[in-house]
Amino acid sequence: MSSTLKSRRPNIIVEILLVAVLIAVTAPIAWATLLAFLPNRAIVSSKWEFPFWVGNYTDIFSGGTLFLQLLNSVGIVVGTVFLCLAIGSVSGYSLAKLAPPNWVRLPALALAGVIPLIPPATLVPGLYVLLDTMGLLGTVPGLVLVNSLFNLPFAVLLMSSYFSSLPNELREAALVDGAHEMRTFWLIMLPLVRPGLAATGVFVGIMAWNEFLMGLTLTSGGETAPITVGIAGFLQQYAVTWGQLAAAGTIAAIPMILLAVFANRHIVAGLTAGSVKG
Amino acid sequence: MSASSGALGTTRARRRPGSNTARTAVIALAPFVVFCLALGALPFARVVQMGLSKVDLGATGFSFDWIGIGNFQAVLANKDAWEALGNTAVFIIATMLGSIITGLVLALLVNRAVLMLPVARNVLIWPAVIAPVVVSLIWLLILSPTAGGLNKVLENLGLPGQTWLNSGHGAMLSLIALDIWHWTPVVFLFIYTALQSISEELLEAARMDGASEGQILRRVTLPLLAPAIGAVAVVRVVMGVKVFDEMYLLTSGGPNGATTLVSQRIQLWFFQDLNYGEAAAFSILVVAITIAILLLALFTRSRMAGRS
Repeated sequence: MSSTLKSRRPNIIVEILLVAVLIAVTAPIAWATLLAFLPNRAIVSSKWEFPFWVGNYTDIFSGGTLFLQLLNSVGIVVGTVFLCLAIGSVSGYSLAKLAPPNWVRLPALALAGVIPLIPPATLVPGLYVLLDTMGLLGTVPGLVLVNSLFNLPFAVLLMSSYFSSLPNELREAALVDGAHEMRTFWLIMLPLVRPGLAATGVFVGIMAWNEFLMGLTLTSGGETAPITVGIAGFLQQYAVTWGQLAAAGTIAAIPMILLAVFANRHIVAGLTAGSVKG
Repeated sequence: MSASSGALGTTRARRRPGSNTARTAVIALAPFVVFCLALGALPFARVVQMGLSKVDLGATGFSFDWIGIGNFQAVLANKDAWEALGNTAVFIIATMLGSIITGLVLALLVNRAVLMLPVARNVLIWPAVIAPVVVSLIWLLILSPTAGGLNKVLENLGLPGQTWLNSGHGAMLSLIALDIWHWTPVVFLFIYTALQSISEELLEAARMDGASEGQILRRVTLPLLAPAIGAVAVVRVVMGVKVFDEMYLLTSGGPNGATTLVSQRIQLWFFQDLNYGEAAAFSILVVAITIAILLLALFTRSRMAGRS
């Protein structure tokens, strides 16, 4: 931190401007949360009245579809995080510490560099055919694979940068003591990059939870879709009320905001990971 | 290819001590490479095949008839493709500049903050963790002409309500504002992190020499932030090329295609018009343009770095 030399006196204008910014950031979220707890007549009325109501939530869950979509999303997040952490840590460790030969290292780096640049929509036609032939179209495992594809490059590079920061002597000492390479990785190196696992896992989890395009195009909607597609479905039905829409939105948003509040450090580490490599 | 060089790798490794390490390294990196080839390169190859074929969807699945560059010619002659490219360029430039200016100002503010510092550092990243689908929904609840919060406020102030989402320019501006609100946190974090690594001694020295705060910002801080700003600009360009959800939900690419960006165009051709060949050809063009622009940015940066 850079606050050591300068005496830190609050500058009133800076503090007031920041309060204004924080209002601009939170007001839209607060507005949606407020609507989620209002009956429709209070929302469309031109007067300001706020009778507290939870009917929106019971309404949107009454069909049972939204709950299944919620479960699908949880399944996609768990599967994607697991796959990305498993491959990300093993392959990231190889890149950082095992000096793999160039014939495999260079293709790996090229894939990790190019995949994040490709707009997912351009891969939809190809992924559609691929999942169709694999029989995974419209399934949670299919979406786990697709989500992992878009998050793996990030996971491998981030885990690799965490492993790089560990001293080489650690691994060499363990090997001299007779530990096998895999044991060294599992028992000594991996436990030391727990912050990296947390940052990678939290970030990949958020991305998988928020993903929409693949859920939309690679499922047939309804009970096979993730929650984001379910919410989008509400947006396109005219029979749905504003309060129900808002309620559906909060179900997807509130868990992420809680994560942002309590796992802030890990999210910041994930979001800024690119700036180190520039 | 990999089989022969793989054998070569093992024989070479076997002569050396640590041959185990080389083999372990390959085995450990293989899952990533194999996964990306199977799920990334294979579908992309399929897109290339589609782009070069007349594609039909029959009862037995897709059939491909090689027609060469016919689809590419059709796309380049299609004004919908050019409209999507033009809209995307406008969207990318506006959201990139908007979020970089906002993010820079926020980073400078937070760097000066004392009382609000802990709250600001936490709350400022909230929009970035919310799904684009939900952000679209939240903004619909604000902008909707019938039940939106904004019109309720305007009415209470005795002003006429807005119908921005129904006009071309209004819809585009609304989406740009939404995107800046959504993704400025990422820009803020990049620049704030860079700002914190600038040594306080340097700034103190400039102050001792009599430089004003404005001069320090222009001559010292901003040049030192330039690499971070450049990096986040690239990130924002890539995000702009990928954007899809917000237009799909808020404007359906309309009114009259005014907010149809490249991802919408591909999705519409593929799933609505069942025009697989042109959707694939356009996909390939978009990827090629993106990579060309990024290479140009990289080239410019290395030249600028070489000069200074």
